[in-house]
Amino acid sequence: MEPIYADAEYQDVPYEEKKRLFDQVAQDMRWETTLYGCYECGICTAACPSARFYDFSPRVFAQVMAREDVHSFYELLNDSVWDCSQCFSCTRCPRQNNPGAIITIMREVAVNNGLQSAKDALKAYSRIIYKIMSTGTQVAPDMLQPDFFPDWGPDVENVSENLDVWRRMVPPETMHTTELAWDVSEKTRVELYMIWKLTGNLEMIEQIDDGIFMILEEVMEELLEEHGYDIDDFDSVLEE
Amino acid sequence: MAEINTCKLPDDLEYHVDFNIWLRRAGDGTFEIGMTDIAQTLAGSIIHCRPKKVGKAVKEGKGLATVESGKWVGPVRAPFACEIVDRNDAVEADATLLNRRPYGEGWIVRVRPADGSEPSGLLDAASAVEPFRAYMAKHDLQECVHCEGFKC
Repeated sequence: MEPIYADAEYQDVPYEEKKRLFDQVAQDMRWETTLYGCYECGICTAACPSARFYDFSPRVFAQVMAREDVHSFYELLNDSVWDCSQCFSCTRCPRQNNPGAIITIMREVAVNNGLQSAKDALKAYSRIIYKIMSTGTQVAPDMLQPDFFPDWGPDVENVSENLDVWRRMVPPETMHTTELAWDVSEKTRVELYMIWKLTGNLEMIEQIDDGIFMILEEVMEELLEEHGYDIDDFDSVLEE
Repeated sequence: MAEINTCKLPDDLEYHVDFNIWLRRAGDGTFEIGMTDIAQTLAGSIIHCRPKKVGKAVKEGKGLATVESGKWVGPVRAPFACEIVDRNDAVEADATLLNRRPYGEGWIVRVRPADGSEPSGLLDAASAVEPFRAYMAKHDLQECVHCEGFKC
């Protein structure tokens, strides 16, 4: 099948490969709840904060997927799919379409298939992946560093240099942390690691960044072993 | 001293380009290992460095240490199968050493190659220039960033 647009990107990628990925989205169990037809009213795009800042439109996702336009789908999967902030403002659609959920499914397909666009999009956030998967809290106060938050101006330098002091200004003891948003119990982490392992999320990360995967696997293995679990043999856990 | 734009590669070290590390032969069969100027620049302001424990056996390509900056985390990989014989507690106490003194006080671990494991693929500074130039281009890095107090 020829590309629909003469200037379509990724013309070198075989149609079959694009269709394979499209089918993974369409076969997702949530897919049928995301799209009921599109009036092309544009309410989703009018409500979308990302549309104000990027060449991005949730309406395009609804229309491309409704038309089963496999070529344009592949373009979106390799670019615009990462511009969405997943705020779901687009769910004010009068037809109850959910472009944000279409994007959720597409992102999972991009990650599961180790697409370069997923690697590029997540590269700058590897510590956030590490934090949420190793502790369950995605934001750490010590992420506030001048080179990562230049838009905070001179304050961020003061905050980062005296972080432990500032954190002790926060009343609850659980907030006196600098490497984590709050203290996370060992029991919570053990349960979290089992969930990541049993649901296949740990393996999903391996497709994207084998460095983080390696670090996470070691962290998880160590704690699980301390609690008598073998990370590679969870059958006994499931039986329990 | 070899240089790529502003990135420095001291002549007395050897380099593993893919893992972006340097090695210094200690003379007793062991190697000190640390992050290159290029690696510390890509990481940004480093806030944690956790070298593995002394005595730990590490396979080739596996982690000798975990390094974290504001939003980035990554391993320092073993260039060959080895045992950690020493770790630099100073970088765990103050990880900014990796930014300020990547080739000196910022060394991370000292390792002894495992039996039968021969270090291979290591380059001297002059030979590492072109491979590192390609590495920088791949990572869209124009030049190295040297924080206040940087010393080679």
